[in-house]
Amino acid sequence: MGFGLLAPALTIMVLMLLLPVMALVMLSFWSQSGFDIDRSFTLENYWKLIEPSDEPTVWFGIPFYLKYPIPVILMIKSLVMSLVATIAVIGLAYPMAYFVAFRVRGNKAFWIILLTIPFWTSYLLRVFSWKIVLGFNGAINSGLMYLGLIDAPLEFLLYNPTAVIITLAHSWVAFAVLPIYVSLEKIDRSLLEAAADLGDSRWQRFWRITLPLSAPGTIAASLLVFIPTVGDYVTPTLVGGPGGTMIGSLVQLLFLRQDNAPLGSAVSIAMMLVIAVLVALLLWAIGYRKMRARRS
Amino acid sequence: MQRIKFIDRMAQGKMSRRHMMQSAGAFGVGTLVLPHLANAAEVLTCLEWGGYDAADYFQSYVDKHGAQPNFSIFSGEEEALAKVRAGFAADVMHPCNYSVGRFVSAGLAVPLDTSRLSNWKDIFPILQAAEGVVENGDVVMAPADWGNSSIAYRPDLVDDDFKANPSWSIFYDDKYKGKVSMLDNELAIIIGAMVAGKSYDDVFDMSGDALAAAAKEWGTKAIDNSRFLWTDASELQQAMASGEIVAAYAWNDLIKNLRSDGIPVEYAVPKEGMFTWFCGLTLLNSGKADPALAYDFIDAWLSPETGKVLIEESGYGHANMKSFEISDPAQVEAMGITDPQGMMADTIVFRNPSDEVQTEHNRVWGDLKALKL
Repeated sequence: MGFGLLAPALTIMVLMLLLPVMALVMLSFWSQSGFDIDRSFTLENYWKLIEPSDEPTVWFGIPFYLKYPIPVILMIKSLVMSLVATIAVIGLAYPMAYFVAFRVRGNKAFWIILLTIPFWTSYLLRVFSWKIVLGFNGAINSGLMYLGLIDAPLEFLLYNPTAVIITLAHSWVAFAVLPIYVSLEKIDRSLLEAAADLGDSRWQRFWRITLPLSAPGTIAASLLVFIPTVGDYVTPTLVGGPGGTMIGSLVQLLFLRQDNAPLGSAVSIAMMLVIAVLVALLLWAIGYRKMRARRS
Repeated sequence: MQRIKFIDRMAQGKMSRRHMMQSAGAFGVGTLVLPHLANAAEVLTCLEWGGYDAADYFQSYVDKHGAQPNFSIFSGEEEALAKVRAGFAADVMHPCNYSVGRFVSAGLAVPLDTSRLSNWKDIFPILQAAEGVVENGDVVMAPADWGNSSIAYRPDLVDDDFKANPSWSIFYDDKYKGKVSMLDNELAIIIGAMVAGKSYDDVFDMSGDALAAAAKEWGTKAIDNSRFLWTDASELQQAMASGEIVAAYAWNDLIKNLRSDGIPVEYAVPKEGMFTWFCGLTLLNSGKADPALAYDFIDAWLSPETGKVLIEESGYGHANMKSFEISDPAQVEAMGITDPQGMMADTIVFRNPSDEVQTEHNRVWGDLKALKL
């Protein structure tokens, strides 16, 4: 039946993913009292995330009528930051993948390996290097000062959400290049020739053939980047400063500093659900539009 | 501190390629050899502050057992507490007078049998009996190091006003926005209330509306004005060395480390007062190693030789009276007050609020940080 082939992966998934997630779900229905965990079933943790209040907390000019608005605010902030990072990643990765797929003749593997070289180092090291690049006396600041363009180091480079987005974008580019490259590579070149014969300009060819046919890879790449970055914890901790926190930082805070593992679990589960719903909505919207396009 | 010095030298390019390769090689060999040692018997596991994992601080333990214990580094006691409660099998933890109570309440601290500590008799009597060392009649922490928390500042980069009349208000002053760094701790709220004129004893355990109001007014300000809230002393040290930060909440060793690098730095005596803490070693019941190992480790920390290193390398005080006799007299002189009794009389000794209040402080501080844009 082929289940034998699947068994190793399935075992690992159940042990390393399914069971921990189940434990997290269970924990989120319990509650913390002092040093102990009260194991009676309660929805209190989830209620806390949406409990309304008459007094709004204003964040970024938006009033939040919630008693405990932090998870919602950080969720929105994380989603926006990840979205920007994802757009940046696709913007960077698409031309790279296009270049390798269409411009490189021979030895494509060599180019793919070249693209992944920065990713042979650890993620942590790469984040730290961004700290050195963006830092107060880092590469950018000392370079600009050497050129005489600025007198004092620019302080807005590090310890803010922008630094987090830059670091995330760089860290995830390689993961986006590969799926986009594969879908570009698969495109039947005769389609492009046919379009050229029928009088399409280069731009029209890209717009009407290359882009739609590479969409599956591009969407896969976006999801591959978007989903993990929403919950990222390492990057905001290292380059985010006080203003660059994301939802992952809150989960860490609840588990380790505030000693409230049940609420932390509820936040993580809620985060997973929100991301799942958003992704499902996106996929549905894309599929929907395609159907409409075919009908008309 | 060796680790920090190594990184510093590397960053400044003072390290030769050969030295670099040697260190890397030694590290590689060490990593290969360590697991084999670890399999021999349960190795002692210690929860320590960054920097205190250097062998200088427990040399007699290394001499006797031939290897270092395992270390896990924490940046705040609440983090360490959560780690142990989540199942981390630590044998020894390094809390302070104001935080050891949390480990006692959580049922993790084991009373110490002081007769098993050969250096106990030389500990300052005031520390032997201090609150935090003794809880409910049991000795729960063997006092080892003591020192201050105050403001470290760059005299070449702050205004004369501050130098003439140093005050904790520098962390809440918009003039220094983005140029100061507060510790990542709810003390930012409490110190703010002190700047507003309250005394530490009135505000260290404030809760409810009073805490919420102080958090909103002072905590937010400290978070907004801090370039970053520090948790890693070496990151802070680099930021002060470069001038990115001109003033920071700091312990004595920062001053010592920066000065030895030739950077001008002063330790303020703020008008609201400077703080004193004393920390020590607590035996935990979560560990798996033989308690005899833990006692050897704790005893090593209490030895005068460790005290000498603390005094000369970090500028901290030590709990063993003999430490001051064998240390470099010039270094002892430079410390100022060398008697914990005098230090406690002249400064504010940190205190421990009740568990409920501490939990509330943790929550309020965490929420406040999360709301910063």
